[in-house]
Amino acid sequence: MAFLEINGLRKRFGSVEILKGIDVDLERGGFLVLVGPSGCGKSTLLNTIAGLETITEGEIRVDGRTINDLHPSKRDIAMVFQSYALYPNMTVAGNIAFGMEMRGVPAAERQKAIDKVAKVLQIGHLLQRKPSQLSGGQRQRVAMGRALVRDPKLFLFDEPLSNLDAKLRVDMRIEIKRLHATTGTTIVYVTHDQIEAMTLATKIAVMRDGEVQQFGTPAEIYNNPTNLFVADFMGSPAMNLIPATIGGNGNALSVVLQREAREPISLPLADAPTGLSAFYSKPIIFGVRPEALTDPEGAERNASNIATADCHIEVVEPAGSDTFAVTNLGGKAVVARLRADANIQPGTVTPLAFNLTKAVFFDPATENRIL
Amino acid sequence: MSVIATPARQSAGGISARTVNRIVIYGLLALFALFYLMPLFVMLVTSFKTMDEIQNGNMLALPQAPTFEPWLKAWGETCVGLTCAGIKGYFWNSIKMVVPAVLISTLLGALNGYVLTKWRFRGHTLVFGLMLFACFIPFQSVLLPMATILGSLGRFGVTLRNATGFSFGLGNPTVNLVFVHVVYGLGFTTLFFRNYYEAFPTELVKAAQVDGASFFQIFRRIMLPNSMPIFVVTVIYQFTNIWNDFLFASAYAGTGDAMPMTVALNNVVNTSTGVVEYNVNMAAAMIAALPTLLVYVVAGRYFVRGLMAGAVKG
Repeated sequence: MAFLEINGLRKRFGSVEILKGIDVDLERGGFLVLVGPSGCGKSTLLNTIAGLETITEGEIRVDGRTINDLHPSKRDIAMVFQSYALYPNMTVAGNIAFGMEMRGVPAAERQKAIDKVAKVLQIGHLLQRKPSQLSGGQRQRVAMGRALVRDPKLFLFDEPLSNLDAKLRVDMRIEIKRLHATTGTTIVYVTHDQIEAMTLATKIAVMRDGEVQQFGTPAEIYNNPTNLFVADFMGSPAMNLIPATIGGNGNALSVVLQREAREPISLPLADAPTGLSAFYSKPIIFGVRPEALTDPEGAERNASNIATADCHIEVVEPAGSDTFAVTNLGGKAVVARLRADANIQPGTVTPLAFNLTKAVFFDPATENRIL
Repeated sequence: MSVIATPARQSAGGISARTVNRIVIYGLLALFALFYLMPLFVMLVTSFKTMDEIQNGNMLALPQAPTFEPWLKAWGETCVGLTCAGIKGYFWNSIKMVVPAVLISTLLGALNGYVLTKWRFRGHTLVFGLMLFACFIPFQSVLLPMATILGSLGRFGVTLRNATGFSFGLGNPTVNLVFVHVVYGLGFTTLFFRNYYEAFPTELVKAAQVDGASFFQIFRRIMLPNSMPIFVVTVIYQFTNIWNDFLFASAYAGTGDAMPMTVALNNVVNTSTGVVEYNVNMAAAMIAALPTLLVYVVAGRYFVRGLMAGAVKG
């Protein structure tokens, strides 16, 4: 039995359904990231776990105990808010101790707990300051300290890094990851940033319009997206999703990509998914990540199915660590990821290697993956 | 600074158009300030003059021999109606009435604002709309219904006293006035606090809920300590209004020992025995106006400071 179980959770505001039957679970010590565009219901889902929003239907269980109707303070959870929600009228120490004070923990014990958390987060020198005298990163630490001091069963993070500048965000991301590794706590984390989701999670739930689109490990989500939305949302730069048709003959299928003013490219598929034969000579969406589309020298040596085709390079973007080349296939701009020192010029025709073992195919009508 | 730093650019004539503008603007401002301060000045100087000086001298002239006699007389000896014991008793009447009325209406307004923004219920906009409507009810239209209600409360108080030996303040004119001012002030105080709490971060309330704070603990520990600016605004507004109120005061406590300051002052001025003692009247009026001035001077500072803090924090 999983540590956190959410079964058939529904949330309605009047006639509007915000959450449409959510099923996710998480093992003890896991890190679940709820990711999706704004308005997908991820924050609402987190709030229902916290008990700050009621649920219409379904069940939430933590460590075998149903917590549906418990008050937030009785759920043995701690939450870090997007704005940190530090009480402006209290010192850092007061903020950290407020929950214990409400539970009637004696002052001496509170002090001990504050000192312990301050040591872990290295905020000992800030304890007597007010939140307004802290920097963004320090506020973030204090907010985490307030959560840590409760030693809860479950940590809830609501977009905790979105108010920080880019560099600090990376630092705090590593810090959260380290915290998770050292304390072994169970965390549910909401973000709209797919990089945060990929780097932090042990499990990701990609959400859209109140539904979980895909639930799995970061690798599963990245390599085997179940539909177009997940494929497009996860990964930066995004996966190339190219309108194509299936050609070839009954035994050896191939992907046919149209090109502007040139004959189409035909890429032979060695081990095409079985479902693909039903799409013979029909339109599909051909998905290939930028790193699976590169110069022939840079292509993965041990990939079993690599096809090379000449492509007209329109734009070259050197990004320092990589060089991105943009070509046009099937009427869409397609990004290829090359080594930083790859010798490639815009306006030339250059062979590009498609790693077809990493390619995925979608049905344009249902937007689902063709397996 | 820039003007000083670049004298060469100034016109050769010496006085630039900018300077002329300044002179005109400040001149007009000074004139208006003078116009507004004139009555206060006359009151102040008159209150320190003897009757002889008032009758023979210029109204605007400074007192030749300043004396505190009128102030002392207004405070302790002047006649209010038929009793001649000064206005001091009525001053305390007002304090006893205003302080509870201001505190109760402000706290209830804060509580209303808290519920209307952070614990929303079905129909909260309708309730707020009705509270807002209460701000526009003319005083005169509630005079008679309120008198009936206060009468009923008084009779209930008598019943209570007969039954328990204690009336719980029902029927007491001071309590009646506190009740009236609280009821009438609620619309305004609710409006103030509701609008302030509307912008108050809800995440703080949620965090406190997760921390296990109850409804009133959140109110007392999180909301109130962060409400200083609006608290001061509301207190100034309510204090000034209730202290200066004459209509309710004269209608429900217009006679007898519980008469507030405003009614007493009116009676001082209207007492028509012998010479009209302008100096005493002016001193009495100054005394009546002092508490509101004091509230402005003391609290206004916090008010501005609170506004600035809010602006910087964003």
